[in-house]
Amino acid sequence: MVNFTVDQIRALMDKPTNIRNMSVIAHVDHGKSTLTDSLVSKAGIIAAAKAGDMRFTDTREDEKERGITIKSTAISMYFEVDKEELSAIKQQTDGNEFLINLIDSPGHVDFSSEVTAALRVTDGALVVVDCVEGVCVQTETVLRQSLGERIKPVVIINKVDRALLELQVSKEDLYQSFSRTIESVNVIISTYLDAALGDVQVYPEKGTVAFGSGLHGWAFTLRQFAARYGKKFGVDREKMMGKLWGDNFFNPATRKWSTKSTDADGKPLERAFNMFVLDPIFKIFECTMNFQKEKLFSMIEKLDVKLTSDERDLEGKALLKVVMRKFLPAGDSLLEMIVINLPSPRTAQRYRVETLYEGPLDDESAIGIRDCDPKAPLVCYISKMVPTSDKGRFYAFGRIFSGTIRSGPKIRIQGPNYQPGKKEDLFVKSVQRTVLMMGRYVEPIEDCPAGNIVGLVGIDQFLLKTGTLTTSETAHNMKVMKFSVSPVVQVAVEVKNAADLPKLVEGLKRLSKSDPCVLAWIADTGEHIVAGAGELHLEICLKDLQEDHAGVPLKISDPVVGYRETVKAESSIVALSKSQNKHNRLYTKAMPLAEELTQAIENGKINPRDDFKVRARVLADEYGWDVTDARKIWCFGPDTTGPNLLVDVTKGVQYLNEIKDSCVAAFQWATKEGVCAEEIMRGVRVNVLDVTLHTDAIHRGGGQIIPTMRRSTYAACMLADPSLQEPVYLVEIQCPENAIGGIYSCLNKRRGQVFSEEQRPGTPMFTVKAYLPVMESFGFNGDLRQATGGQAFPQSVFDHWELMNGSPLEKGSKLEELVKSIRTRKGLKPDIPPLDSFYDKL
Amino acid sequence: MAEASAFSASGEDVTHRPVEVDEAGLAPPRGLSPSEFDEFYDIDRIAHEVSSGGYKRTALQFPDELLPDSVPIYRALKRRLETDRELYVLADTSYGSCCADEVAAQHVDAEAIVHYGHACMSKTYRMPVLYVFGKKPADVQDAAEQLVWSLKSSGDLPKRVVFRHYVAYTHTAESILGALRRMLSTIDIEVLYEAIPHCLDPTSSKLSLLTSNGLDPQLRPEHVPIPSQSNESDPILYVGPENLGLTNLLLTHSSAPIHRYDPASRTCQLESTRTNKLLMRRYAVVQRARDADVFGILVGTLGVASYLPLIKHLRQTLARAHKKSYTIAVGKLNPAKLANFAEVECFVLVACPENSLIDAKDFYRPIVTPFELQIALQFEPTWNGKYVLDFERLLFENAALSSSEDHMEGKRDVDEPAFSLITGKYRHAKRYGIEGTDAGVGNGLVRSEAGALVMKNSAAAEFFQSRTYKGLDVRAGMDAPSVLEQGRSGIARGYTDDH
Repeated sequence: MVNFTVDQIRALMDKPTNIRNMSVIAHVDHGKSTLTDSLVSKAGIIAAAKAGDMRFTDTREDEKERGITIKSTAISMYFEVDKEELSAIKQQTDGNEFLINLIDSPGHVDFSSEVTAALRVTDGALVVVDCVEGVCVQTETVLRQSLGERIKPVVIINKVDRALLELQVSKEDLYQSFSRTIESVNVIISTYLDAALGDVQVYPEKGTVAFGSGLHGWAFTLRQFAARYGKKFGVDREKMMGKLWGDNFFNPATRKWSTKSTDADGKPLERAFNMFVLDPIFKIFECTMNFQKEKLFSMIEKLDVKLTSDERDLEGKALLKVVMRKFLPAGDSLLEMIVINLPSPRTAQRYRVETLYEGPLDDESAIGIRDCDPKAPLVCYISKMVPTSDKGRFYAFGRIFSGTIRSGPKIRIQGPNYQPGKKEDLFVKSVQRTVLMMGRYVEPIEDCPAGNIVGLVGIDQFLLKTGTLTTSETAHNMKVMKFSVSPVVQVAVEVKNAADLPKLVEGLKRLSKSDPCVLAWIADTGEHIVAGAGELHLEICLKDLQEDHAGVPLKISDPVVGYRETVKAESSIVALSKSQNKHNRLYTKAMPLAEELTQAIENGKINPRDDFKVRARVLADEYGWDVTDARKIWCFGPDTTGPNLLVDVTKGVQYLNEIKDSCVAAFQWATKEGVCAEEIMRGVRVNVLDVTLHTDAIHRGGGQIIPTMRRSTYAACMLADPSLQEPVYLVEIQCPENAIGGIYSCLNKRRGQVFSEEQRPGTPMFTVKAYLPVMESFGFNGDLRQATGGQAFPQSVFDHWELMNGSPLEKGSKLEELVKSIRTRKGLKPDIPPLDSFYDKL
Repeated sequence: MAEASAFSASGEDVTHRPVEVDEAGLAPPRGLSPSEFDEFYDIDRIAHEVSSGGYKRTALQFPDELLPDSVPIYRALKRRLETDRELYVLADTSYGSCCADEVAAQHVDAEAIVHYGHACMSKTYRMPVLYVFGKKPADVQDAAEQLVWSLKSSGDLPKRVVFRHYVAYTHTAESILGALRRMLSTIDIEVLYEAIPHCLDPTSSKLSLLTSNGLDPQLRPEHVPIPSQSNESDPILYVGPENLGLTNLLLTHSSAPIHRYDPASRTCQLESTRTNKLLMRRYAVVQRARDADVFGILVGTLGVASYLPLIKHLRQTLARAHKKSYTIAVGKLNPAKLANFAEVECFVLVACPENSLIDAKDFYRPIVTPFELQIALQFEPTWNGKYVLDFERLLFENAALSSSEDHMEGKRDVDEPAFSLITGKYRHAKRYGIEGTDAGVGNGLVRSEAGALVMKNSAAAEFFQSRTYKGLDVRAGMDAPSVLEQGRSGIARGYTDDH
């Protein structure tokens, strides 16, 4: 029974103080979807008995089959909180009814982009950590991302039942394990802390950490125990919470609190957490699993847990589940933690506005966002597109930061390339319908005010993946999302039947829409390329493409990797190219850019839109550039934003400004298709040293300069020890000790390099971290499973570009072979063109 | 004449520049006896045709590789013709040497053209053309045997096959055909063949040679006709080297397997395996054309029949799609020429079929054929692998197509962005040539935000705005007046005082 109505939700939407927008984030298999079930069942959407098994937010067939979440799913829920608890809420509230918009996100690294899209529209995050595995690579990634978006985290340590049942740890060991996990979470938080967010480290004694088991449907925070014991000891609840964590010991003999682990006689004391919190739980587990039902029943009676007669007949785990769920219902504890500790949109948008909005912070849109004002001009960010049941159509899924959206009036749809005052990437259209996203279904609503998450119908054809909706003509865009993964693995797809080609094209469009990270384009050879973050991501995308989006049989090539072309040294001599009419000469040299600078450009820290003087200062101060050179950067390339620079270092050349446009165009062209294998160039600086130009403008037009500049760039690269960079994954593998040998042999075969191997304290699990070239990673998961008897689970995420050994110019080298194979695949002549096809003699 | 300097060449090198001659060209073997020479160049036939046709002035058009033989041919013909018949030698054609260069011929007021060497057999526009293909040797028996073997080894035997060949093998075509028919009749395969004509005349009844099967010439799909009773998937047996003509054949007959026998290497293979690759490459170019808003129509022929209606049609099509188009006459293409038109985003080449397919690797912007443009401009790009290079057929098909397109027009939202397969993103197409979209404001000048006057809805103005260099900077008051000095004199090709 759903215990709320859409009308109730709609009414709450007008109270931004009583809304919590939150995402559930974690490493894969730490139990996000299972925990989400507890909340969903609390809202009455699914039966309590099913919670933990159903994974309500896994809506797709393949999600259910594989048992992993692939797409993030949003659900809106209505809750009433005990009036007593309201006093604990440290922000403005209005009544005891709350609307929680929850987004369950995938944990597998390949789908990190879904997490990014979810984080953008939420203000708080429930970070789930497996109590046995602890903080893993993806836990760190998602935490880092959420802090970057100024999203406040609370933590739940999940799967405590495993620690008790499987590992049989002692109370103190469990406490130590908890505190270590919390500590590692806090280390990450403090590393990426944003001052504007305040102290967001998590503390059990402040109620920002919960412990529980999603599978069994129970969880607690210290607040609940503090409430129980507070009355008993006659201590204030807040104070009691503080006593229940850390080095606080209770001496039952003297009934005194102490901070030492021994009493006056040197006898060991039990930690308060162990004594008051863990002890009852341990006892329940012990009694249930040892079939001491009578003892159990008498105990739970003291704890105010009432069982029905049917439930009393249960045995073992089933009984345990029922008892624990009644004793410490997960839904209640989580709800309490979320409502008390996570910010409402009204609170959050005040400090998030500056990281969200690109425009000036004093325009009407920025002020509307800051105040979460439903009467201000509309500002809504669409973070992803959700497929509808109507094939090829999508809900635009996003968050309203300011104003109110309703069907009918025209709104401005600003794509990612929109610039204020220009018409590009701007559409003025009206929304057909607004809907509430409810996991597996949607509910139509009349309108939707600021602070809420909403689905929009009828504007999907104007947005590819993301965009900003607004009613203010002066509004700038919301900042674009930065993804932690890049699409480095590619496959070529071909239709089996030529007549299906248009369907494939339409399918690729839909696929691009439906996934925040996937890229689809057509190569010069006419092959359709689909690029994804990893093998699994691609597999899912291609399955969707074949079965849903295109609906036609496809031929799929083996995965290939995109390389980058770079140079390793400064050009040995000055590269000279003459124009076709021989009247113009360009003298250039290429040299590598520092890796830090390359990354800074890729991350947008240094970008072509910066003021050139400011940029020159940064380049000089941080990257050791000459200021004069740094001020004369002609362009970035490719696509005018890439990590290659064209720098004018000429001295007093006439007409130089006239050929700048031509040189820039040629540089874009050359950097997009490098000289060795026509791969994208990366980390190359090309200096224009000198130029001789014909005195007549007609003889130094684009026709003469563009091809010449391209050749000159190629010649300069050929002379600068050209090489390739390959993408490398960071692989994190969790495994028991006996599987480590298998991991090493598997990695060695694939040019992998282990750089860290640690045992997780208190567990037999090891964490191995290694670098693995993406090229070698195909089929790695399968091999690893085989080599370790299925005990090792790798998580691979793109980490960096690594320079490859050798030179593609050396005959017979590995790199030359690789270049040849790329060139053949692209339908080019297998050999790299000789230098003299680009370099002209004086 | 200007001295050669370190900076600019004297221009002398043009006369010394070696011309690249196609190795596999049609030049006859050296050291032919006069009778063999006459035989190779069909001197007698041409002399007969010219005198019987009553042409007063005839142009002899030679490709570069046959140019050395032009004088002996001229002499040989002159000997056989009456004295009032004038002959002119044309060389260095402005477009491809496979087409009859009618414009050059008109300069001498010629009445007919004798075209030597490799020919694309495009229909001409103004005057009759006599073809001399040359005679490449081929081993008839080997050719027939290998082709049949290749056909048999490729699996299912068809009911019919089509025999085609490169123009230089016209002289042996009949005997190869005979051999093929003999061999294939035993297994009940019919061989279809239509001879390549030795002359084409746009006006006279000689066309009847082409239209002997009664089809209207407007509907003829091919320059070298395929017998009409064949259907599209019949295998083609081809004799000839690998060249552009073969590529075109592959593209235009993508559904038919093509077996090629190369008389030079005496080998035979199935060529159509690469057809898909070829078509896909072209498809990628079509996608780039879809992303363009400003087009350049390159006039690469002045001889092929129907080129004028086609250009007109292209302009109309582009205007209807609200694209901007420029028409440019270029002659032979090279990257430097086209890169001068930086604002053009895609070129459409109107040229004879053999010169239409340009692999635009070295070109700054893509170059498409009119057919490809047609596909690119469709709202939903549908392509079933059919490929058309012939102008007339293209025009004919478009007439049918455009009426159905108009029907579609009303339904879609003009603002809807298109998904670009090149970038994998949405692209908001610019729409040129729309009158007065904003009330009262036409294509006139408006004041931009920066205060400058800008043209609305003009491709050229937009491009100009995007340039960083906009002409001479006025540096009023910033430079001291300089002393007058002697300027240079001469013309741009080479100044008298160049340094």
